[in-house]
Amino acid sequence: MSEVYGRLGNRLRRILVLVPHIIKHPGVTVEEVARRFGTTAAEVVDDLNMVMMCGLPGYTPLELIEVVIGEDGSIEVGMADYFAASLRLSPAEALALLATGAALMSLPEFADADALRRGLDKLEQALGVDADEGEGVQVEVEHAPVAHLERLRDALERHRRVHLEYLSASSGRLSERDVDPWALIAALGRWYLVGFDHSSEEERMFRTDRVKSVEVLETEAPVPADFDPGRYRGAFSGAGGKVVTMELSPRVMGWFSEYYPLEDADELADGWHRIRLLSGGDRWAAALALRLGPDVRNLGPPSVGREAVRLAAAIASRHRP
Amino acid sequence: MRRIERLINLIAALLETRRPLTAEQIRDRIQGYDQETHEAFRRAFERDKETLRTLGIPIETRKVDPLYDASPDGYVIPKDRYYLPELGLEPDEAAALRIAAEAVVGSADAARAGLMKLDIDDPASRGPRFVWGADVASEQPYLPPLYESVLRRAPVPKSYRRAGADEVRTRTVEPYRVVHRRGHWYVVGRDRDKEALRAFKLSRIQGALKLLEGTYEIPQGFDASSHLPREGWDVGAEPDIVAVLRFDPELRWWAEQNLPSSETDEGPDGALEVRIPVANLDALVSWVIGLGERVEILEPAAARARVVEHLRAWL
Repeated sequence: MSEVYGRLGNRLRRILVLVPHIIKHPGVTVEEVARRFGTTAAEVVDDLNMVMMCGLPGYTPLELIEVVIGEDGSIEVGMADYFAASLRLSPAEALALLATGAALMSLPEFADADALRRGLDKLEQALGVDADEGEGVQVEVEHAPVAHLERLRDALERHRRVHLEYLSASSGRLSERDVDPWALIAALGRWYLVGFDHSSEEERMFRTDRVKSVEVLETEAPVPADFDPGRYRGAFSGAGGKVVTMELSPRVMGWFSEYYPLEDADELADGWHRIRLLSGGDRWAAALALRLGPDVRNLGPPSVGREAVRLAAAIASRHRP
Repeated sequence: MRRIERLINLIAALLETRRPLTAEQIRDRIQGYDQETHEAFRRAFERDKETLRTLGIPIETRKVDPLYDASPDGYVIPKDRYYLPELGLEPDEAAALRIAAEAVVGSADAARAGLMKLDIDDPASRGPRFVWGADVASEQPYLPPLYESVLRRAPVPKSYRRAGADEVRTRTVEPYRVVHRRGHWYVVGRDRDKEALRAFKLSRIQGALKLLEGTYEIPQGFDASSHLPREGWDVGAEPDIVAVLRFDPELRWWAEQNLPSSETDEGPDGALEVRIPVANLDALVSWVIGLGERVEILEPAAARARVVEHLRAWL
């Protein structure tokens, strides 16, 4: 239930969808309705008892909504033609479906792509988008190599371990590792693989564009029952729990704080900002700082500073005349 | 009588009425408006209208008699804006939408509520889920109103902070499409003040958004992609530069895999040389530095010099 609408709002939203559902499916039971709307049978009966007190001006039995609950729990609603169709989807509700649907469409060979496209088109047309104008919502996800995504999807569906060759952001080197795949996540315009990495014995996230090869193993790799992909919302900078600190110029602070989820930020007397963010490893943090060039200073901890000096020397030596 | 019953009665009456109902008619006819004073009624009614609007129920104010200028205002819920039309979803289409709903991480509540309205079964009862959307979800506060603006073709004025500037500008925009690219939502449409097509990043919008009266048309076959920046080095004023990058053998697979449409040449010792058009050398320099020591800019010489210059503080 959403917090936005409050108790009364949530109840009213439910009733405005629940009543049309019963009108469309006469004889549906209290239990079925409760399960469908994520509530209890007692609440459904409460809702219906209240609905039968409502109706059109006059409010005689001829104008009140008719509700019959049978001994077997089956429900019928009558005298409420004006509630026979549901309230339209709100823009937020439609977007949640359309945006995710559009992201799924970017998966190569997504089995239900054709049906999904038709379903999304019907939904948008019902909301008022003209078919000739194209979709009102567009979600772009870069294609990682199609073969990789296909194999990862296959491994996820069959719960199989994979062997990856992966260009690690924390070391800058190609590594080989076995991973139990738990989810593919579309974020920041890319697909990420999340799973249990057997070489670090940790839950890790892998950018699919950094995967060099995927081999699906025959080892079973079940997804833990308590795995919650919702935790990965917005957490796409690094992993490992280490924190990197740096000071950023006012020139880059604005866009930087939009791209990277900051742990915290303090404005300094000269207008620069001291920030802390979760690190994806010393090399990752060093490369990030070097990209910012003269707009970053006071990089910490010292191991990141040392790596930045080493990496800067290596890159510069290749670019001197 | 409880307030929720009064609200249901209000919705039913305003959906069924042929002519808009005036405030007085609402007070007289609709059960639940039995406040003792006119003032108390006005307060209760204002609060009810606000609640319905928050829930997305379209309550409109219209002249009771449209042909008569001095006609009093009345209230109505237009059927065509309230009712969800029959979509006629085929079973496979409904199943695919259910997969989309279960793939939502960010706005799972909204997606579920949407499925309920479409009368599609709840995904919670299904097996393990394997693919998820994440930041594509509509958690941006400005996204639903801008999408509503696209759906209703209603222009919006909005305040916008330009990149790299503190200055805030207000523009009136006719939104054509909302687009998610590289982790960010954009609205692409016609800027009425500039009379040009523009893309605005949602995270730079400030203040309240209110849809205006009036309407506009979205051109047929409109292609939003061509109005959005592609890569960082694609945005800028330096025309027709072709950069040549050398990827060492250890990293050539990465270039082959992720820059598939670029022209390439074999370099020395198994390296790969990739040619890419560039409009912004600074963005190119920053990107190449981020790739690390296994990539070198061969041309143009100006970009090589900028790499060294960019790293000066660390050398």
